[in-house]
Amino acid sequence: MDNTQYVNQQKNKLSWLLATPTLVWLIIFFFIPYLIVVIYSFLTPTIYDIKFAFTTEAYREIWNWNYIKSFLISLRLAFLTTFFSLILGYPVAYFIARSSAKMKNILLFLIIIPFWTNFIIRIFSWRIFLSPMGALNNFLINLGIINEPLLILRTDLAVLIVMVYVYLPYMILPLYAGIEKIDFTLINAAMDLGANRWQSFKKVTLPLSKEGIFAGIILVFIPSLGMYVVPHLVGSQDSLYIGQIIAYKIKDIPRNWPFASALSLVMLLFVAVLMIILYNLHLKQQKLKVEENVQNQKKEI
Amino acid sequence: MFKIKKKKYDINQSNWGTKLTYFTFVMAFMYIPLVILIIYSFNDSKIVANWRGFTIKYYIELFNNDEILEAFYNTIIVGIFSTLISTVLGLLTALALENKKFTGQKILSAMIYIPLVMPDILMGVSMALFYNFLKVETGFITVLIAHITFCISYTTIVIQSRLEGFDYSLEEAAMDLGANRWQILYKIKLPIIMPGIIASALLAFTLSIDDFIITFFTTGRGFNTLPIYVEGAIRRGTMTTINALSTIMIGLTILITISASKFKKILLS
Repeated sequence: MDNTQYVNQQKNKLSWLLATPTLVWLIIFFFIPYLIVVIYSFLTPTIYDIKFAFTTEAYREIWNWNYIKSFLISLRLAFLTTFFSLILGYPVAYFIARSSAKMKNILLFLIIIPFWTNFIIRIFSWRIFLSPMGALNNFLINLGIINEPLLILRTDLAVLIVMVYVYLPYMILPLYAGIEKIDFTLINAAMDLGANRWQSFKKVTLPLSKEGIFAGIILVFIPSLGMYVVPHLVGSQDSLYIGQIIAYKIKDIPRNWPFASALSLVMLLFVAVLMIILYNLHLKQQKLKVEENVQNQKKEI
Repeated sequence: MFKIKKKKYDINQSNWGTKLTYFTFVMAFMYIPLVILIIYSFNDSKIVANWRGFTIKYYIELFNNDEILEAFYNTIIVGIFSTLISTVLGLLTALALENKKFTGQKILSAMIYIPLVMPDILMGVSMALFYNFLKVETGFITVLIAHITFCISYTTIVIQSRLEGFDYSLEEAAMDLGANRWQILYKIKLPIIMPGIIASALLAFTLSIDDFIITFFTTGRGFNTLPIYVEGAIRRGTMTTINALSTIMIGLTILITISASKFKKILLS
């Protein structure tokens, strides 16, 4: 055996040693709990707990229009939240990326403050702002724009507004990181070649900021899908989101843990399929890039 | 003759006003609710709507409320311990992943990334049922374990990104000069990746003190963290003290953010 091979083997052993605590930790506290969820989804519920008796009742129960509707409105919420935070966030990220270095720090600071402010408090601030006797209604009534308070709180609209509010920094920061890397002389070049502003945006800026958009979408869409707290605190009682149903079935009495488990697994399946699709898109993109590079190199030769 | 277009300077200067207006609009969206919350925390009125004069009585009430002080204490303790443990685990994992010929690299990377792309609620549910299955009493330990679990991925990735920029010629130079593996780790590698370690610890701490969902599923009767207490108080309707508490927490956030950026400057200079 030659020396480098021996060194590599030693290094490999050391790496396994270093990785073991985390591996063990994640297997016990992350993967085994999911196994428990799978097992529980096939058990019989009681009011407080479960009975170890096999049944597929939970999976049959899901095929109820109410639950399917919950899935659909959760998907709609995740989709709209991602869409609006992208639309609102992109120009902001662009603006920050094009500012001077000193300005950049201040602007990023302005984004990070709400980002780091406690999640529950940010939701709570909207409850005060939107409530029938709250700041917004007071303001509008005093101006004489409306006579009756707007009943926005406890509607799906309130849920959407607060969701966009909560996730906007999660969209802006990766977008900014992506846009910041763009070589802006390329845009000047495009314009010199006669592209108008929209064309140069579509053909140069947008494709180059794809990675940031990609990261932002993942960071916003996935947590939005399972959102529980926002609809719980500002949403309507009439439209329950899937996260709410899961949380209520776990925490509130009568409990139904098998059903909550089954719903969780369906959501898990959703997320897994989505991630696989996105991952493949990402791979395709990179492959295209590599091919392009190869072609360019060939041309140069 | 060609007509020379002066368009290329436009993208910087023109419609700068529009962009600024737009930016201000989005910032207003992000800040107005928080500012109003802060203003109302000084409002001498039980009902939120009317301004009845300036008061700090809710702040005094706050500091006499044992439940809040206990929740605050719990939050900090869980935050500190989960930060320490998850940062150490993250550092070890990042060092393992640094070795590109590591046979477990793919599987370990996948295990690190999977928790990141799971909705929080799924992790909360799985942990809640796991604890139920084991019939353990939920409280400090169960919350701490859950927090460490969701922090590991973040700490690993942050430290890993710092390691990526590591200049390996330094390691070789030290080895040539007779340093052993531990000396290299202590004297060269750790100091260089220290900003990454600190950044990851800061991130873990913020994630831990901010968490509601996973704590909600893994805590038991009597063990409240601040977010759990605030959520309960919102539902019970004790708004005014919550305004004051929120204001203090926003103040702390600003303080942490400023000191983090100052700290980063000192470390990088």
